[in-house]
Amino acid sequence: MGNVENSMREIAQELLSEGKVDVIVGYGQGTLPLRTTPCFINKAEDVPKLVWNASCDANLSRYLVGREDKVGVVAKGCDARAILVCTVEKQILRENVVIIGVPCPGVIDKKKVEAKLDGKEALDAIIEDEEIKVKGEEFEYVLPIEDFTCDSCLTCRHRNPPIYDVLVGEKAPEAPDADEFAEVSSLESRSAEERWAHFEEELSKCIRCYACRNVCPLCYCKECFVDQTMPAWFGKTNRLSDTMIYHIVRAFHVAGRCVDCGACSRACPMDINLRQLVKKTEKIVRERFNYEAGISLEEVPPLGEFKMQDAQEFIR
Amino acid sequence: MNWKVIAKKKMPALIEELTKEYQVFAPVRNESVVSFERVSSGNETVLDLHNTKKPPKEVFLPQNEILFTYRVGQESVEIEGAPALEREMVLLGVRPCDARGFVLLDKFFSSGEQEDFNYLRKRENAATVGLACNHPLSTCFCTSIGGSPFGKEGMDLLLQDLNDKYLIEMVTEKGKKLIEKFPWLRGAEKADIEKGKRLSEDAEKAIRSKLSVEGLSEKLDRMFDDPMWDQIGLKCVGCGVCTFLCPTCCCFDVLDEETEEAKRVRIWDSCQFPLFTLQGSGHNPRSSAKERMRQRIMHKFSYFVKNFGESFCVGCGRCIRECPVNQDIREIIDGISTR
Amino acid sequence: MKTVEMERNPKILAFLCNWCSYAGADLAGIGRMQYPPNIRVVRVPCSGRVNPYFIIKALQRGWDGVLVSGCHPGDCHYISGNLVARRRFAVLKDLLEYLGIEPGRVNFSWVSAAEGEKFANVVNDVVDKVKALGPAERLVKV
Repeated sequence: MGNVENSMREIAQELLSEGKVDVIVGYGQGTLPLRTTPCFINKAEDVPKLVWNASCDANLSRYLVGREDKVGVVAKGCDARAILVCTVEKQILRENVVIIGVPCPGVIDKKKVEAKLDGKEALDAIIEDEEIKVKGEEFEYVLPIEDFTCDSCLTCRHRNPPIYDVLVGEKAPEAPDADEFAEVSSLESRSAEERWAHFEEELSKCIRCYACRNVCPLCYCKECFVDQTMPAWFGKTNRLSDTMIYHIVRAFHVAGRCVDCGACSRACPMDINLRQLVKKTEKIVRERFNYEAGISLEEVPPLGEFKMQDAQEFIR
Repeated sequence: MNWKVIAKKKMPALIEELTKEYQVFAPVRNESVVSFERVSSGNETVLDLHNTKKPPKEVFLPQNEILFTYRVGQESVEIEGAPALEREMVLLGVRPCDARGFVLLDKFFSSGEQEDFNYLRKRENAATVGLACNHPLSTCFCTSIGGSPFGKEGMDLLLQDLNDKYLIEMVTEKGKKLIEKFPWLRGAEKADIEKGKRLSEDAEKAIRSKLSVEGLSEKLDRMFDDPMWDQIGLKCVGCGVCTFLCPTCCCFDVLDEETEEAKRVRIWDSCQFPLFTLQGSGHNPRSSAKERMRQRIMHKFSYFVKNFGESFCVGCGRCIRECPVNQDIREIIDGISTR
Repeated sequence: MKTVEMERNPKILAFLCNWCSYAGADLAGIGRMQYPPNIRVVRVPCSGRVNPYFIIKALQRGWDGVLVSGCHPGDCHYISGNLVARRRFAVLKDLLEYLGIEPGRVNFSWVSAAEGEKFANVVNDVVDKVKALGPAERLVKV
């Protein structure tokens, strides 16, 4: 990790000093253990602020849409896929972005660490040699990273960015056969009543903060459907009907576009398992249209095209 | 006798008795998240935690509140106010920062020409039983901003965890009357009170985050165009986590719903949302995260100070821990105070 | 307030495309074909006009069932409106059913202008399905 961090800084330094980019968007040290924070660097002397470790979990491509300057962005596999989707949707100009691709074996899920600590506060954490050494008042744990990795990373099939201008570090081994839809399949096997009860319970925790929407790189609409007022389609109250509809429609809107970076679930302050819902849309699009988002610049968004022979078993 | 004690294992029985006469709100665990909820028995509460995810403000300012219902007839509109409170309330296990938040909210909701009936009616009919902090979090900065881990502002009773029992201090007449309903409670011994004092002193010493808020308001007055706001605005994603989880943020929106029964409801709103300052013309004076974060900080540490004499922050640290991009208000305050 | 009488008579919102399905419904009427009176028709220029919001909003408002009907693929008056809609409806239907909305609440059909009888049959079946499901509760906002 240390080498990758240094290489990343060198590359950033070069890009800035040669004027190839106006700003570097990367990860900086956070103010809490196991946290990093989005970092915007436009001066070469600030480059040392960039870090790279297993808590670099944000999807930084979220900051690219709508920019007019030239940006160098640090991108993991999922982040690069998101950039690809936004490029295909003509929201990002490819020539304005220098993708600093980073192979990523997975990021830490701080909620899993918090669960392990069971109410105790982590005061310091070091990530080293596939282990998280976390210390607090009167305790010290050494946790194997693989047990505290984000669920989205455990079944990730794109550890290496499918698109990049420069790659930092060694390519990570891929796991192309990972069963990424296991959780969804398990829910599918339950009855409609059980699923409804499950999602009602899960989504009743929602406080409508829109952290999920705002950290998502694909949610770039200038006016979100939930903010439309003339007419107002759906309510902004936290009543279950309004809340469930917000999540259903958001899932529908990212159908065929979501790259399962997991940022939405990580951002949720109420620990709602949002991936369970959104991942289903990925499965629908994969099975019906044989499509996976964010793999190639030549792809056509599935809901933006059609084939005469599309399945219509559900239409009488 | 201002002090009593209760063995921890007797706490569920006390809560159970309270639920018979009062609406009791206490921290309840729902998987990984603990929030204040109405409890109907003594076993649902969890008191050995740092603090709840959501602040207790939602008991007095619900995220969704019906202000009144109405029926539009041929000749007139019939309006029916919100139903009266079924019973008085007791909030149990409120940390000193959150209780102090109530005091600040009281100032806000009782100011101006129209006092906020909905909020104040609940406040007046509620007793707050606080829980002193023995182990502040690293993100707590209550002592920098007028509070304390064993502060009593906004409380009627203060509990303190003495390991196997709670020390109960009567803070107000209301608290005294409440505790008199439990004559089986033992009086506290001198040793208990001393232990409580020691734990309080230790807790205060254990606060790690110390900020200088001296002159913040005056400094902010000169900082409207400071480049610091650009940096802050860059990473902010504009969600409502900081405002919704803040014990003192209380902005709301009012709308009419015409479901089966027409009603006027009040819901939480956030200055970080794009619609907050959107004008009918389409112009938005706070069009990006930069202006909105600036406004939030100014409101907390300048405007509220000018209007009510105190900062509108209690140092609970929820915004620091829960912000998806690790925006840290301590860094912001430090940035301002070093100007 | 749903009375017992109303519970036995579901209300179904039907979006019919002007050129095919609406004409087909009209033909059913001209031919005096009997079908249950439980549908309320909204005429749209094309099934592609049907925004998923309409369907979701209908469920929120308490409609017991929704029917969307358009031209057969290849016959769309606007060439491909129904083809784009087909993918959209597929995703929406799968998503709603995954969430637990009962299969049978949201229905789709291709009915041409000549298929008066088919229209009557479709409505019959949809009404039967929805009746068996009972009044809509999930997603309803009271």
